[in-house]
This record gives sequence, C-alpha cells and structure tokens, in this order.
Amino acid sequence: MFEPVLTRNVGNPDALTLKGYKKAGGYEALAKAIKMEPDGIIEEVKKSGLRGRGGAGFSAGLKWSFIPKDKKPKYLVCNADESEPGTFKDRLLMEYDPHQLIEGCAICCWAVQANTCYIYIRGEYTKSAEILERALKEAYEGGILGKSMMGSGFELNMYVHRGAGAYICGEETGMLESLEGKRGQPRVKPPFPAVVGAFGAPTVINNVETLCNVPHIITRGADWFKGIGTDERNTGPKLYAISGHVERPGTYEHPIGITFREMLEKAGGMYKGGNLKAFIPGGASAPILPADQIDIKMDFDTVAKAGSMLGSAAVIVMDDTTCMVRSVARLAKFFNHESCGQCTPCREGTNWMELILKRLEHGEGTEADGEKLLSICQHIAGNSLCALGDAAVGPVKSLVERFMPEIEQHVRERRCPFPERRYFGKNVGNGA
Amino acid sequence: MPKVTINDRTVEVEKGATLVDAALKVGVQIPHYCYHPRLSVVGQCRMCLVDIWDRGRKMPKLQAACSMKVENDNWVVRTDTPEVQEAQKGMMEFFLINHPLDCPICDQAGECGLQDYSFKHGVAFSRFQFEDKRTYPGRERIPLGSNVILNMNRCIQCTRCVRFTQEISQTAELGFFNRGARAEIGTFPGKPLENHLSTCVVDICPVGALTSTRFRFAERVFYLDKKPSICTGCEVGCNVTMEHRRGKIKRYKPRFNPEVNDYWMCDYGRSTFERYEKLPRLAAVRVRPEATGNGGFYGGWKEALDLVHRRLREANGSSVAILGSAFLTTEEAYLLNKLAGALGTPHRSVPVDLGPTWTIPNLKGGISGQEQAPNRRGAELVGLTPGEVREGGTLLDATALLKGDAAAQADVVIVSDSDFSEAAHNPQVVERLRRAKLLIVFGWCDSPLAKVADIALPVSTHAEKDGTFVNVEWRLQHFGAAFPAPGQTRPLVDVLVDLLARYDASWSKLTTGQVFDRLASEHPAFAGLSWDDIPAVGVTLNVPQARAAVDAATASAVQEI
Repeated sequence: MFEPVLTRNVGNPDALTLKGYKKAGGYEALAKAIKMEPDGIIEEVKKSGLRGRGGAGFSAGLKWSFIPKDKKPKYLVCNADESEPGTFKDRLLMEYDPHQLIEGCAICCWAVQANTCYIYIRGEYTKSAEILERALKEAYEGGILGKSMMGSGFELNMYVHRGAGAYICGEETGMLESLEGKRGQPRVKPPFPAVVGAFGAPTVINNVETLCNVPHIITRGADWFKGIGTDERNTGPKLYAISGHVERPGTYEHPIGITFREMLEKAGGMYKGGNLKAFIPGGASAPILPADQIDIKMDFDTVAKAGSMLGSAAVIVMDDTTCMVRSVARLAKFFNHESCGQCTPCREGTNWMELILKRLEHGEGTEADGEKLLSICQHIAGNSLCALGDAAVGPVKSLVERFMPEIEQHVRERRCPFPERRYFGKNVGNGA
Repeated sequence: MPKVTINDRTVEVEKGATLVDAALKVGVQIPHYCYHPRLSVVGQCRMCLVDIWDRGRKMPKLQAACSMKVENDNWVVRTDTPEVQEAQKGMMEFFLINHPLDCPICDQAGECGLQDYSFKHGVAFSRFQFEDKRTYPGRERIPLGSNVILNMNRCIQCTRCVRFTQEISQTAELGFFNRGARAEIGTFPGKPLENHLSTCVVDICPVGALTSTRFRFAERVFYLDKKPSICTGCEVGCNVTMEHRRGKIKRYKPRFNPEVNDYWMCDYGRSTFERYEKLPRLAAVRVRPEATGNGGFYGGWKEALDLVHRRLREANGSSVAILGSAFLTTEEAYLLNKLAGALGTPHRSVPVDLGPTWTIPNLKGGISGQEQAPNRRGAELVGLTPGEVREGGTLLDATALLKGDAAAQADVVIVSDSDFSEAAHNPQVVERLRRAKLLIVFGWCDSPLAKVADIALPVSTHAEKDGTFVNVEWRLQHFGAAFPAPGQTRPLVDVLVDLLARYDASWSKLTTGQVFDRLASEHPAFAGLSWDDIPAVGVTLNVPQARAAVDAATASAVQEI
C-alpha cells in the first residue's frame, strides 16, 4: 500500500494553519535546509531525480543549477497558473496544504539564493489564492518569511500574483511578461529565464507540485525519493487528475509509473461499465492514446515512447460513445481561442485546424482533409515561438494517425455517426 | 570576432550579430517580416527559420535566425535544407490563408513582402478552399492618425509598427489587441498616431496594412523611377529615395544612412516635394520690356544672359546686392559668390527660415534640425556671407533687404532663388525688393517675387540638378538629377557658368563636377575632396565646428566609459 506523500494533509483541516501544519511535521525540512549549503540542496534534488511536474519533465535540480551564482537579484516564480484542460492537481495542493507549497518555495529560494518568490496563480482560483494569502500572512507572522527566514538572517519575501485567465500565461515566459504587467505573451528564447527572467534577472520557474515535493526530499532524503517510481529517471510520488468517463473522477496520488489500468481501477473503473475507447494521458495537449495502450506505465519516458506525453498527468478517459472528431475539434477550439496571436504558425494554424475539424464534424469534410491536417501539424510543430503550437498539434495529429477510420466515416456518411450530446455551435466561422 | 558559416560561406561578424545580418554579409537573404535591425527582436513571424549545426551537432528544431546571435565560432548554418524550405512554404501558406489577396487594389503591390516571398518561397495554389477568410469588418480603412491608414484585413501581425512607436518614436500610440487569430493592431482610445515620424510605420510595414494618406492611390509603385536624393525640408539633410514618374515626384522614402537619418525621416520632410506641384512653375525666360532699356526683349537664354551682363556692367558693381538662398547647392552658392567677386560687391547674404525643431533618431542619439534650410552651411562655407563695407556705407544683407528699405539703395538686386524662403511670398517683402532699380530673379517657382522681377530666369528644382548640400553636422552629401528640367528651364550651375564666362573665359562650359573640384581646391573645408569620390553616406567637412563636435563626442564617450 502506497502511503500518500503530497496529499498526506488532505482531509486534515488543521494543516491549513501554521500551528497545525507544524504539528504534522511541517517546516522541519526548511529548518534542516537552512543548515545545509545551498549547493548541497541542489545536489540532493538533482540526485533525487525529481522532474518538473508542470509538463515538460525537466530535471528540477538541473534547472536550479543553471542560475548564475554571482548575479543579484534573483527570483523564484511558482507556476500555479494551472490552466491545461483536464488538470486540477495543483489546486488540491494549494487548497488543502498551502504551507507545504510555501515550505517548498522557501527551500528553493534558499537553494538558489533568491530573495523574492512570486506565486503566479490563475485568476479563476480565487479560493486557492485566498487560502494561500492567509497562509502567507501566518508564515510572515510566524517568522518563516520576511526579513529573516526562520531566524537565519536570509530575507525572503513571497507574493501571490493573480493572473487574468489566459492559458498562455502558464507558459513560463508568457507568465513572466504578465507578472511584469505586460501583455501576456511568450518571449523569444534564448535567452532562457535562468539567465534573463523576471525583470531581467535570473529566474527559476517551477510548478506547484514540483516545489511541494522538495520538502519531502529534504527530510527523507534523495534515496527514499528514488525508491518510489519505475526507474532512475522516473522517481517520486505523482498526482494524477483523472476525469472523463470514470466512476470517481478526481485527483489521486500514486507512485509515478503506475499502469493506466490500475489507475482506472482505483478511480472506480469506467463510467457505468462502458468500454474504453481512448484516453489522453497528460492534459489537452498530449496526443490521444487508443484503448490498446491500457497497460502503459504512466511515467514520463514510457508515455513518451508510446507517442504521447505525461505532461501534467491530467488523464482524460473516453468511452466508446465519444466522437473523437468532436472531442478533438473542441480541443482545437480551445487552442485557437488561447493562442496569443504572436507567431504565425500558431495564430493561423490553430485557427485553420479548428475550421477543418468543425467542418469534418458537421459532415462537410473531404477525403483530403486528413492529409491536410497532418501537413498543417507538420508546419506548426517545432516552428512556433512557444510550446503552445506543439500542444495544439498533439491531439489533432493523434486523431489523424490513430483514428483515421472515424474521420473517413464522417466524410462517407456526411454526418457525425455519434449521438448529439453537447454541441458547440453550427457556425463554421472564426471560432470566436 | 566570431566566425559563422552560412551556406558553405564563412564570414566574420561582430559578436552578438544576428544570423539575418550575418547572412546578408555573404549575400544570403534570409526571409523575414518581423525582424528589423533597429527594433527589438521578437521572433514571431517565423519566416526566418534556419538549420543550425552547433559544433557539428544539428539542433533539434529549426531556429529563428533573427533571434540567434553569433557569439562563438561553433555554428554552421544552412538556409536551404528541405526542412527549411518546407517550413518556409508552410509559413507562406499560413500568411496567405487569411490575407485578402487584393493586390490589384493594394498600394503595397510591387514592394510587398508577401508578394516577394510567396514568389520565392511559397506555392502557387491554395489549400484553404472551404473555409471563410478571417476579416475585420469595419476595419478596412481606419485612420490611425492624420498620416496613416490601417487596413486590418491585410495585416500579418508582425508588430513592427507597434515596436516602432514604442522604441523609436517613443510615443507608444500603437498596441496589439486581442488574441490568436483575432489579434489586431490599433491605437489606444483618444490617442491617435500623431508624432513627427508617424509615416515611418508605413515604410516598415512589410505588407499593405498601413498606407500613407499622402501616397495612397497616387501611383502604382512598379511604375515609379527611383533616384537617391536629399530632403530639403531642414538642415538635417535626410537621405531619401526620390520616387518619380514622368517628371513628377510622387513620394520620398527614407534612404538608409546610419550617419544621418538611419532608416527614418519626418512627416514634414515627406511633404516638401509637394511645393513643386502646388506652386506655379517659372517655365520660360521672362524680361520686362523696360528692363532692356531699348524697347523690348526678343530671344532666349543667350540674349537674357547678355542683357544681365550688360545691365550689371552698367550698374555700379559695389551697389549690387546678391540675395542667395539656403536651398542653393554648394556649387551654385560658390558660383554666385564668384559673380559677386567679379562685380566687387560686399552685399551677399543667405536668408534662413526657422521652423520647429525635430529630431530624427539614429544610433548616435539623433540629429536635430531647426532651420528650414538644407544648405546654409554649404553656402556660407564657400563665402556667400556679407563682406566688408567701405566706411560710411551700409550693408545690404538679408535683414536690411527683407525687413528694411535697403533695396532702394541698390542698383541691382539679384535674388536666387525665387522661393528662397517664405518671405518671397510675402507681399510686403516683394514690394520692398521691388524698389531696386533692377530686380533679377533666378528660380524654379513663379512666386510673387518672380512675377514682379525685371528679369526672371527659370532654373531647375533640386530634383532636376546635381549638387551637394552640407547638413547641420557639417556633412557634405551628394545628390543627382532625377529627371530633366522642363521647357526652357536650366540648372543654375549651367546658367551661372555661362554668365561668369562673360567675365572670365576659363569658366566656360564647366560641369557641376568640375565646379565642385574647383571649389574644393579653393576652400580648405573641402580640401582633398573630389566630385567623383564623395562617399554615398557623405563626408564630414574639415571645419573647426565639425572638429569641435567630433572632439566633444569623443570626450563624452570617454567619460561614459
């Protein structure tokens, strides 16, 4: 039986207060950390194999080590702009255990010697933001933050910054622009945020879940952390946000690398005993996997090998009543709506893909559309300014590659063969 | 300096140079829309994608050449791999699917980035067959300010114009609104695009989204002939391309000169050529019958110059007043001064109008002009300044002639040219000058002054002659004739050379170039220069003021270090 790590305080309302959190063993890790050398912490995190939980799966320790030692000021920005469709794991962490996040941020700040931390939270998460703000206030009063972090003489200020609801502000440089008060749109890279980030200073950007793992690595050690998971490269506990056609949708904590079948069982199985048709393993931007991949191990490398990505581990399950064309058309609509409009392939390509998919869904497709979609995908993928273009390509490409018969059926029958459920407008227009 | 190899050719570039600029050095044009050498790099048009091998290892993705800065010797770049060509094809398709393709009625057609690159990198057919094009209803002809009109349907969202107003004019009137496929350019409420450089956004717009109210629908650009020239609006001397057709100037576009106006010019400067169309042209030699002294005038230039020569010989040479103009080329001013020398008159001057001070930004921080005079400095350098007056006499200079009653004391007043400043159109001033016993006017314009002249001689506009101007920073700049002068009109240099040849045969039949070479051998400021060797970006003259300015710049640079 796997003992929950990140969610251990869920269901314990006391953990919302500083006193309750401390009683549950909180801030011990921070106390231990400030006795360690900053480089030692980075080494420990590197050794643990903790990979970024936001989507890209980049080694957290490695990211921290890129921060130049000699430059001041430096910043930590915690990415709490959880806006990937299907993802709701960070919200749980922030609403049930805010101090865990604050502790993780504090340790990271000490490790990279950054005196300021921003928690960039999406605007819709008003409850989470209020809880975090309350927790921050307590932490200041309790001497955890402020002029002298836990009496160490290290100044640390932490702020909650609320976004305004744009998906693109979850992209790290888009978030920095938004944080600086500008129009939220990604910057051209290089230079990377580790060199030129918020306000032109070196900046670490980490996901909420990534930072929440840090205190546990410090208290229990890298070797304990490495013991959880499939192999050397996929370690630690992981939150999976499962939704769609399952009996008990929600956020579950599993050791990374649990099979999809096992995960589905723990969520109560398919909704009303339906048949699995497909699932998205990592949020809206991950390519869709067909049902025959049910035994896949849900870790970064195995999912990538299967032609998808673990991403934010937001698992969307679809049974055989789902029209894949309609689902992907809905996703394409999302990406078109959320594209910032800066770079050409994403601005024009996502719009065009949505128009084609809508046309297909309405039974007005042609045989050449599949190939056209693939070619548009090829022109967007890798050529856009930020990762949103690649994200938009994921579901569309997998639709054409893995569910081509369904597209052909739409074209042949000149209608959608699935019962009409939730329709999103007949208007084949601008996608607005 | 780091080296980079682009399409098998290796070039040394300055550290931090972008690949787009590096490629130009080896003659490779990397297509781009959003990149501009003077604007910040945003890398958003994605047209400049290239393949890069870093120490022999190919980078996993195509990289935007505009954002890749050469810092070391590690890179080998190719702009012609199948991947790059495929990406360029894809980008062109994306640009065009929602573009109206209204080239037949678009002002940009002929100088359009979309046309050029789709010809070079695009495909000839469209796959955007079943969908509706995105349009911006009601935003096809939005005046952004008094000089610029926006057609949002044609826009490719490169944001060059937005960055221009933020970074170059620093007025930030333009913004990028909305998201995704509905993103658009616009002004903020109550803040129209009004700055003295506003038309530059039309120049840097790679497509026909921004058009100039001044040039809109005036001419198809592919019918225009082009000639490098100098703006006559003020003493800055912006380098321009004079675009003309059938003897009419259609527009000025700034011509790149990093030492003067960089890539920019002001809106006022762009309007200066309109004077040549607006004002009536002096097209023929015109002599009042009384002026001949023997009944009437029959003949052309030869007879007119004979008459001028005769009347000047009859007059008392030292009471001839010569009123020059800051619009004269240096050569013309030099010849006019020689004429003054031949007559022995000290009464030489150059009137100058003051206008508002405008600054053209460049890499050195900008260059400002206030005098509406392209060549006061040149005229003064070659000696067209008041001379010594003998005891008791009064100097008949511009102030005395234009503001006082000095003309009545002069035997002859020679004015060159008829449009020397706004004063030439002022009835009071015309009346004052008319009090001279004989009024000789050279000019392109049949101004009120030319109308009352005894002898009015038609000469070229600056579009119709060769010459040099000296700007506010003592930079000598050369320009050439764009088209021949109409009718009886002759370049002033030819006229003055003919006139001077009547005093000294060695002036006979000199060309502008030969006049300049003579001038250069006489005046120390021009020492060592010859007509054929004036650099395209001009040359700073060897004058104490210029040397002082250079010293001051060096001193401040030293302090900054």
